Amino acid sequence: MSYVLQANHLTKKFGKFMAVDNISFGLKEGEILGLLGPNGAGKTTTLQMLLGLTTVTGGSISYFGKDFYQHRSEILEEVNFSSAYTKLPWLLTVRQNLTFISYLYNIKDRKARVNQIIKIFHLEKLANQEVRHLSAGETTRLNIAKSLINFPKVLLLDEPTASLDPEVAAYIREFLANERKQFQVSIIITSHNMAEVEELCDRVVFINQGKVIADDTPENLAKSIEISHVRLLLTPDVQTKLIDYCSKYKLLCEQEGRYVIVDIKEKDIPGFLQKISELGISYDEISIERPSLEDYFLQKARTTTR
Amino acid sequence: MSWHRIYGLILRYSYLLFRNPDRAADTFYWSTIDLLVWGLTGLYVERLAGNLLIINIIISGIVFYYIIFRSQGEVSVNLLEEYWSHNLVNIFVSPLKFGEWMLAVVVNGVIKGLLGFVFAGAVALVLYKVAVFSYGFYLIPFIFLLMLTGWFLGFFVSGIILRYGTKIQFIAWTFTSVFAPFSAIYYPVSFLPDWAQAVAAILPTSYVFEGLREVIRTGHFDPAKFWISLVLNLVYLGLSIVFIRSSFKKALERGLINTY
Repeated sequence: MSYVLQANHLTKKFGKFMAVDNISFGLKEGEILGLLGPNGAGKTTTLQMLLGLTTVTGGSISYFGKDFYQHRSEILEEVNFSSAYTKLPWLLTVRQNLTFISYLYNIKDRKARVNQIIKIFHLEKLANQEVRHLSAGETTRLNIAKSLINFPKVLLLDEPTASLDPEVAAYIREFLANERKQFQVSIIITSHNMAEVEELCDRVVFINQGKVIADDTPENLAKSIEISHVRLLLTPDVQTKLIDYCSKYKLLCEQEGRYVIVDIKEKDIPGFLQKISELGISYDEISIERPSLEDYFLQKARTTTR
Repeated sequence: MSWHRIYGLILRYSYLLFRNPDRAADTFYWSTIDLLVWGLTGLYVERLAGNLLIINIIISGIVFYYIIFRSQGEVSVNLLEEYWSHNLVNIFVSPLKFGEWMLAVVVNGVIKGLLGFVFAGAVALVLYKVAVFSYGFYLIPFIFLLMLTGWFLGFFVSGIILRYGTKIQFIAWTFTSVFAPFSAIYYPVSFLPDWAQAVAAILPTSYVFEGLREVIRTGHFDPAKFWISLVLNLVYLGLSIVFIRSSFKKALERGLINTY
């Protein structure tokens, strides 16, 4: 697969503040890339630089092998963007918004495309309503519809499913996965929904303090966390015993009603279970939760806080 | 330069004219109120002074002044509209170039300026029997010069808004008024104190309104005033374009336009 987007040594300084510090990554054709990081990590600034909404302090961006700053208009014909935080003019109707946006792109039959997009996103009943009367979920749906109006080859999405109800969010995820499969659309997505990122993304670039901390598949990132969660259902009399044991051996544990959750390395689990059995701590139920992308996110966010 | 992108933005601002009462008021309401207030005042003064030209001069002044006001307003208020509706991101992630946006708001200003002019002219005719359209051919250079003034003022105001944001958005409605006393809209430049005459001499609008009064009084059009006004307008327009472009660049460097 060839790269449709390459960011090389991107740097952005706001005065003395280094928002993005020499980051490099690429996006392959048909790939869905998750751009993750805690708030203030530099994700949005990175997206803005990729869209030309913020000038770069250093580094370069190229799409389809062409320099972004020299071929901006030509490149943006093939790129689009949606964010849960942007709005379309609120006094215009859904149809008017999509119509005027369609004129900003080189689309052959604009009327037909607007009608098609309205249909795909089930906006028929809302087509003649002013945007200000839409719910948050409907607005997000319209924003995503807008971002697909020009048949983009590269789509940049900033928390696209925020404020959507689970059913619509699932529909959007399915739609995006299908766009990728059918049209080889390449997508960069930022999200705080780790399950969504695990489901959608082929690869994740983790940013913190403006730097790339990791660039790998969601599975590999999750695997890099050695700690699993052992969830034990205990009778109250042995709960204290287990908590004391964890405290003695400096194991992180948490009590949740009749459950005690112990964070422990996967390879140490058999020894741990044997030891508590010897101490007479018996459990009624046990489940082992393997580390997820969320665990990775939490660990990295905690260990690299500013 | 892409015409379909420019048309897209004209479409966007035209939709707004019919959906936003504020924009409709800018085009039709305020000119009518000014025509009523100042027209009636003019009629009263005309009766006291016995000079039949007073009402013509005041009404023509108002009708033509609104061309500057609308042309400037369409540039600046449409930028503010994008700020208010958080739409700057949507239009500038598209292939739209900043120059195309500038041209779109100018064309929009021409359309609404002419619409407002025709409307105010019709109101003046109905209320006071002052026929501004009777100036015929002379209308064209006057309208053209006043629109140029509106554009450079609009670009300058928009440049300031791009640099400092909506906290100083009031200048979109007030900036043009600063030049009104020196533009000699209702009285001759010679009536101004010396220092104000010096200001008037570098304003393209003072030559337009002086020329307009000359047409009303004598039916004679002074080409010298046209050329001086044109040169001044073009110089200021050039400077305002440099200013707004550098402001846009600054806004991008600061990331001002991307606050979702």
